[in-house]
Amino acid sequence: MKQHPYIYTLLWAFGTVAFIALSSYLVGSLARFISKLAGQSRQRQENTFAGYFFASPWIVGFLIFVVFPMVASLYWSFTDYRIGTPSTWIGLENFIRLLAADREFRGSLINTLFLTLFGLPLQIGFALFLAVLLNRKLRGERVFRMTFYLPVILGFNAAVLLCWRLMLNAGNGIIDQIIRAASRAFPPFGWLNRASIYVVEIVNGFFLGLTNGNYTLLNNVYETGFPAANRVPMWIQTPLWTKMSVILLMVWGCGSMMLIFLAGLNAIPREILEAAEVDGANNWQQFRKIVFPLVTPYIFYNLVVGMIATLQIFEPIYVLYRDNQPLAPSAYSMVYYLYQATFRFNEIGYGSAISWLILVIIAIVTFVQFRWQNRWVEYDLI
Amino acid sequence: MRKTVLHITGRVGLYILLTAASILMAFPLLWMLSTSFKTLQEANAPKIIWVPSEISLDAYRNILTDSDFIIAYVNSTFYAGLALAGTLLSIAAVAYAFSRVNWPGKNIVFALMLSTMMIPAQALIVPQYVFFNAIDWIGTFNPLIIPGYFAGGAAMVFLLRQSMIQIPIELDESAVIDGANHIQIWWEIIMPLIKAPLATVATFLFIGYWNNLLGPLLYAQTTKLYTLPVYVAQLYNINNATQPWPTIMAAAVLTTVPLFIVFFFAQRFILESVVISGMKG
Repeated sequence: MKQHPYIYTLLWAFGTVAFIALSSYLVGSLARFISKLAGQSRQRQENTFAGYFFASPWIVGFLIFVVFPMVASLYWSFTDYRIGTPSTWIGLENFIRLLAADREFRGSLINTLFLTLFGLPLQIGFALFLAVLLNRKLRGERVFRMTFYLPVILGFNAAVLLCWRLMLNAGNGIIDQIIRAASRAFPPFGWLNRASIYVVEIVNGFFLGLTNGNYTLLNNVYETGFPAANRVPMWIQTPLWTKMSVILLMVWGCGSMMLIFLAGLNAIPREILEAAEVDGANNWQQFRKIVFPLVTPYIFYNLVVGMIATLQIFEPIYVLYRDNQPLAPSAYSMVYYLYQATFRFNEIGYGSAISWLILVIIAIVTFVQFRWQNRWVEYDLI
Repeated sequence: MRKTVLHITGRVGLYILLTAASILMAFPLLWMLSTSFKTLQEANAPKIIWVPSEISLDAYRNILTDSDFIIAYVNSTFYAGLALAGTLLSIAAVAYAFSRVNWPGKNIVFALMLSTMMIPAQALIVPQYVFFNAIDWIGTFNPLIIPGYFAGGAAMVFLLRQSMIQIPIELDESAVIDGANHIQIWWEIIMPLIKAPLATVATFLFIGYWNNLLGPLLYAQTTKLYTLPVYVAQLYNINNATQPWPTIMAAAVLTTVPLFIVFFFAQRFILESVVISGMKG
């Protein structure tokens, strides 16, 4: 049957629908039976049946595809288990190897930290900037909003990411060609370009040093000194720039964050801003003293969601660096490393340990953010 | 007088800024389109060629005669379509339970469902892979499609629930008096009233399935089963001396056309619902 993949899967799909219908009926009936035992009214029993009947696709799926795998992987994370061989209990060895010996994993942690530290603020800042611009109630605002949101829809398709790979080429990539032309035509831009290259390479050199434990790249950058006049960013050519391309893509895909900010800006009563204008506050003062505090809850939301998303970045790294071996580890995200480390040698035990570590890190980060939010997030100002 | 002049210059400046930002954001897509109409020489030229002087359809001819690309296109359509149908239907059923029925345990189950949104899907791929391997599903479309049939996607359930909860409950009550059961109320009364939210959710699901890379990468292990993102990603090979960029970009354009069409028709609903589902917290 597998020679005909469409028919095979269609049959399974029909079977699944039948299974869901049957299991829903059983779950509903069980709930009704319990409700009857509890001596509830006829009406209540019927509602219990209907509720569990309709909710049970999710309940059953949650048990099969979430709870069961999570429990299994928790067990496997303490074992040496490869597909095809029986698992053996090794205690904490996987976790020790991960945290103490695995340089690539440490690299992926530091890379993710880098993206969170530099990429996320840029992404949130750019989203807020676009939202403030759009909030002026201009004609044609919808077209702009659509354009800004488009990268979210298309941006994570491998096809579009390949176009970025074309544009980011160092030799004749369009981005570097534009930078080169602009630097030649307009010297201050050239200076700005060279200064940014210097800063980016020093910061990246430092973080790569943290990863590798040796700082030769940072030293090289330092000894070369201020970048030469014809220098352009080496987006996908050197470890010093690989993460910057990913940040570029993050900023490009800031559309959902922008929509969230727009909703927040819309909720600010016009009267407050008008009153401030009467009192003589200029645009910047209005933004700094009124708008910004009022959008902090939205910044907080974007920070929490954005951090989880950053931890999970996969597609850009696969498309930009997959086959670029000595270079790729300098851009690995944690989830990419999970994919790489697990399926390279089908090391299920080790992969399970990474999965659980990622889950724990997300839980801790989210918890810390919620604990710290009352230090800077302003609720109930209006 | 001075104030209006300032006002007008401010507006013009704003328009210039917004237009510049739009061009930047749309640039990769425009460049993709432009490159797909170039010849190989033009695509690798050392000078910037914004728009090819002569529109060349070679790239499209190349990719459309590539049978593997056509197979990938059919695969993607089959996968996204079949997955979408089951996911949409089950999500609508579950949303009904969370919005129109009162049952013991409803709030607990709902909270549990919302909390699963914090679990990154990728953290589950390892054990799920073992599970699918054990039931011999690797190398089929099943692992990509069947899990969605169990109301995959808590955020989407939430979105539909928010729409269903706004429908007056009196509608259900009068239907009950007329002798309708819950399945009839769900299918004949509620579903027709939430066509727009259903279209939105369908759009989001379609985009998610169409763009999915990691799933097909793990489970569709032969060229015969490749979906578009996997196949198109393979077109770029670092070992090639020159990359066939026009052909790759033509494949990219054809891959994104369905996304454009879907987004064009559903954009009004999408832009609103990002905010609704985003504001749950």
